[in-house]
Amino acid sequence: MGNLIVPGQGVLFMKVGTHARESLEDIIERKTREIEESSFALWGYGGSTCHPQTMVQPFARDYHRQGGRIYLVMEPMESKHFAEPVRADELSVDGIKWEPIPKPINVKGSRYALVIQNLRKEEFDLPLDRTEVALGNSMGAPGGKYINGRVDKACLRILDEHHGPDRRVHIGLVADIVEPFAVYVRNKID
Amino acid sequence: MAELDLKSAINAISDVIENRPRSLREFDQIYMKAGDMVMQSEFVARWSDGKRLSFIGDGDAISVCVAYLKKRGIINYGPSQITVFDFDERIVSAVKRFADREALENLGSELYNCLDVFAGPNDFDCFYTNPPWGASNDGESVKVFMQRGMEATSYRGEGMVVIADDPDLTWPKRVLAKVQQFGIENGFFVQKMMPWLHSYHLDDAPDLRSCNLIFKAVSDEVKIFDSSAIDAKDRLENFYGKENAPRVRYVREKKTLGYGKAHDDEYSLELLES
Repeated sequence: MGNLIVPGQGVLFMKVGTHARESLEDIIERKTREIEESSFALWGYGGSTCHPQTMVQPFARDYHRQGGRIYLVMEPMESKHFAEPVRADELSVDGIKWEPIPKPINVKGSRYALVIQNLRKEEFDLPLDRTEVALGNSMGAPGGKYINGRVDKACLRILDEHHGPDRRVHIGLVADIVEPFAVYVRNKID
Repeated sequence: MAELDLKSAINAISDVIENRPRSLREFDQIYMKAGDMVMQSEFVARWSDGKRLSFIGDGDAISVCVAYLKKRGIINYGPSQITVFDFDERIVSAVKRFADREALENLGSELYNCLDVFAGPNDFDCFYTNPPWGASNDGESVKVFMQRGMEATSYRGEGMVVIADDPDLTWPKRVLAKVQQFGIENGFFVQKMMPWLHSYHLDDAPDLRSCNLIFKAVSDEVKIFDSSAIDAKDRLENFYGKENAPRVRYVREKKTLGYGKAHDDEYSLELLES
């Protein structure tokens, strides 16, 4: 692979593993099935580093307007994620208007979800020191420095050259992020 | 600074935190960490000793801390009057609830969105604001909050603006420059800057700090002005971050009998067998 690693390209980097007590292999199988049935899947996550409305949507829209897109690039890892596997009932693009999540789609144990297609296994290295945080409070921070400790995901832009040591992470899973790019999810409120 | 009984101060701030609503990140409500709240509250109390102080937004509840530290005798200085203006009714109510419970007679709060006309009062001596930091709009959101603070003082007196400060990032420097320029354009000068001071519960930038930027009006004279609504697209389009303009006038509180207690929908009870 490597054709994603071009200057200017936007990627959403995320470490992935067991989520809400479901193994990564099981998640991939389930999401692939959901994409076959509904043409898209929702990839659940949490944390504000990739907040749907303030980070992912404006980041993805920038590329979409120019005929491009951003990609979800994931580093598989061993993890224990003990969030309860509670299925979200509703989704919202803006946090104001909510609609039911279609039956074939399942998001569990998450507050936010990326809208993805074309989930596939691809193996390549992402040179984090050739990236920077694309927007938000850490805009301009080197990716290699930013992805650290509790920060395990980020909206990154690929740069022309390295800034710092050549820190790399191994990507094993990729997906296209498609409109509306990212949503809030929640349990049904009566 | 007088010696502070740190244990008593931390416990007092803990009471305030317990009373505070949970933050809404969508509106840039990002709470300062408790240790920094202690130090900041003491400093704000000293800075505004004997004065009438307005807060233009106050999710952190520094206003409450300032009033409460003095009421508990942990410090013996502080403002004579504090009014919080916030668009989140949960925050406004939390201030009123705490003031009522602890008999903080000099602490009040009003529901107000800083995009609307500021109806006064305009006789405050100083203002405090910790606004959205304006990473995506060169500090325009900071300027909106500052403008209302200046109006609250009729463009005289002093203001404390708490904004991002990071030696490694470019955007905070750009915002700091723009905000200082805005202050000067409105008849204020930078009296003091306390760099890299506070940390936050900010998971997307855990190392990002803020500074205190303290402005003082050049003139002591009250300025006559008309407050007007802020609706210019270029000031609002990136208010809460890139392409995130304000759409909410007020965050309304859902009233509950069990305020501050665990929500009923968080748990169920499994009884002992008798």
